[in-house]
Amino acid sequence: MHTLKFSRKSLGIPYAVYLLLFVAAPLVVLLYYALTNGQGQFTLSNLTGFFTDPNTMGTLCYSFAIALVTTVVCLLIAYPTAYILAMSRLKQKSVLILLFIMPMWINFSLRITALKEILTLIEGNLAYYPFFNAVVGMTYDFLPFMILPLYNTLSRLDGSLIEAAKDLGANDRNAFLNVTLPLSVPGIVSGVSMVFLPAMTNYVVLDMLYNSTYIMGSLIGSYFSAYNWHGGSMIALILLAIICIFTLLTRGMEDDSAETRVGGALL
Amino acid sequence: MRNRMTVRRFGAGLLSAALIAGAVLETGSVQVNAAAKNRDTVVLRVCNWEEYIDLGDWDEEETIDLESGDIIGENPLIRDFEEWYSETYGKNVRVEYSTFGTNEDLYNMLTLGDVYDLICPSEYMFMKLMKEGRLVPLSDDFFNEEDENNYYIRGLSPFIRPIFEEHTIDGEKWSQYAAGYMWGITGIVYNPEEVTEEEASTWTILDNPDFRRRITIKDNVRDSYFAAVGALKKDLLTSEEFTSAPDYSERLEEEMNDVSPEMIASVQDYLQDVKDNVYSFETDSGKADMITGKVVANYQWSGDAVYTMDQAEEDEYYLNFAVPEEVTNIYFDAWCMLKSGISEDPAKQHAAEAFINFLSRPDSVIRNMYYIGYTSVISGGDDDRIFEYAQWNFEAEDDEEETVEYPLGYFFSGDEEDEDYLLCAPEEQLSRQLRAQYPSAEDIDRSSIMVVFDNEKNDAINQMWINVRCFNIHDIPVYAWILALAAACGIAVFYIQQRKRRF
Repeated sequence: MHTLKFSRKSLGIPYAVYLLLFVAAPLVVLLYYALTNGQGQFTLSNLTGFFTDPNTMGTLCYSFAIALVTTVVCLLIAYPTAYILAMSRLKQKSVLILLFIMPMWINFSLRITALKEILTLIEGNLAYYPFFNAVVGMTYDFLPFMILPLYNTLSRLDGSLIEAAKDLGANDRNAFLNVTLPLSVPGIVSGVSMVFLPAMTNYVVLDMLYNSTYIMGSLIGSYFSAYNWHGGSMIALILLAIICIFTLLTRGMEDDSAETRVGGALL
Repeated sequence: MRNRMTVRRFGAGLLSAALIAGAVLETGSVQVNAAAKNRDTVVLRVCNWEEYIDLGDWDEEETIDLESGDIIGENPLIRDFEEWYSETYGKNVRVEYSTFGTNEDLYNMLTLGDVYDLICPSEYMFMKLMKEGRLVPLSDDFFNEEDENNYYIRGLSPFIRPIFEEHTIDGEKWSQYAAGYMWGITGIVYNPEEVTEEEASTWTILDNPDFRRRITIKDNVRDSYFAAVGALKKDLLTSEEFTSAPDYSERLEEEMNDVSPEMIASVQDYLQDVKDNVYSFETDSGKADMITGKVVANYQWSGDAVYTMDQAEEDEYYLNFAVPEEVTNIYFDAWCMLKSGISEDPAKQHAAEAFINFLSRPDSVIRNMYYIGYTSVISGGDDDRIFEYAQWNFEAEDDEEETVEYPLGYFFSGDEEDEDYLLCAPEEQLSRQLRAQYPSAEDIDRSSIMVVFDNEKNDAINQMWINVRCFNIHDIPVYAWILALAAACGIAVFYIQQRKRRF
């Protein structure tokens, strides 16, 4: 037992080194740049500058809007899909799932280029619908990330719980709303976090679909090409803070639904 | 008429990967063969624009059959240089070649501590590097016209030379630190079936509502700023009084480099209108969108304009090039040696200067021009092959009916009237590739360079650009605020409910 523990520890060393080099060290650099000015002095002006500039705040709102709409659309498409997949008694279920994962095997920019042509066929001129295009592109790109966690949660759901609800007099609708939906919250939460946050920064989709308005990712890029590493780092840090807040808020939700409640229900 | 074949850019990325792999393998074999000599090998670290040098491997049928002999790119130009250097100077050199995407990327790479010996930035970036004292001056030997291996100084165009002599940074001439590579102007590529030449020959086409969402602009602050200033000052720049002034060139340059706060503010307003009018801000996609007909006009650099027109021609689709009547931006990419790389190593500096000279040898120049589509600053001096190449490209066939005489003397001999450099070209070339590759003398007359601005002005312009591209919070409509508020309340209620259920 003792030797096992020891070897486990040493197995962790590569990952610890990786963490230190590629996660901790860049973070320190990021922090340093975000909290200093061009002369290397400590300053909070990058932070206050971000929150007082109508353009950066506007960009934050715009990115937020794109990410929110994308997430909602993804959820609306992915939930029924995952539900049907999970509940179907098809023997070849894995083939169906494969169909949804397969696009991820094709290079992302290639897919968006194809999408661009399709959208051009439909819309005629892409440039008239920048927001819509951005949402379509993001949805196309991130949908599998929403389907997979939902499918995982839903397929692991204990069917006897729904049967029990029905035995106790619930109709299909009530059984879904009171049993299935609450129990699938962990899947929703992890799906949302896998779609929402990347959608705030993935500006390549916008660039390729000709949306000329910056989102958070492109804003960081523009600061860097203007040699303003300090402002750019601060925006990256703010994004990081948003992600942290989001994770903290949803962690509670995931915990109590995934462990306490499912566990409790099963017991 | 036009013999030029497709400029092969597609797949050049792959080729450069292959090149690097090849370099690794090759150096491996060199090490085995010449283990003893290895210590004398100079390593030259070159950083150039992506797809900006001949990578060789041409098809047999791509041979450029000039009267003075065939020219074909078999091997990458870099390998040919290494061979030439050891044959000519009896010393070995190994080129470590890397690329950059934008001048700003290059600058950031240097700031982060990447070390190169020889780089190829645009004029404003080498001006910045000169100002910061980061460049090594070219040696006196480099300017010795007696030395037959000094292809650069012997072949430099009499049109380019004074530009590099007359422009200075802190009292020092450009030519002391920078050796030109390629040059060009900016203009508008357009589809003549949708846009008239007159409509395309002005910067105001960018906010012309007739082409709403059917025109592209460059996605970088300097090019956009230049176009905006050109459009805003249209009346002044085209006025007889202004253009006929004796100090026209100086005044034009002054007007185009106007970075007063008022000008920056008007440019911001103008570009905001342009943003609502154009199809996209692009760096690369504009070429494809032009060829596929998604847009009818495209703000373009002359080299890429040539490429776009060539590609379209393959599909029997003819595009034109116009140079705005107000002003055009003339730009240069030039080789500079970095202090951080050369670090007073004479062997290295010699290799770097030899590299510039080798690229300026007429056959290398032609290979590069054929491969990348841009125009070299080299006219060839005594060697007429580069003009021959222009003729090979553009001279009208004997049976061509509508031809014009196109004087290129300004570039090749410094004398506009020089009859030796009169190109007899099909008339349509006046608005096609020829105009982009070798702009007419009139186009050149109204060209202006765009200088580097000091940090304060630069910050102001960059901020202006960010303001143009960002979504302003004041533009959010009221209903969106209400919707957002409702959504936030909904999420809060849901969240609290979830919490309550726990107990």
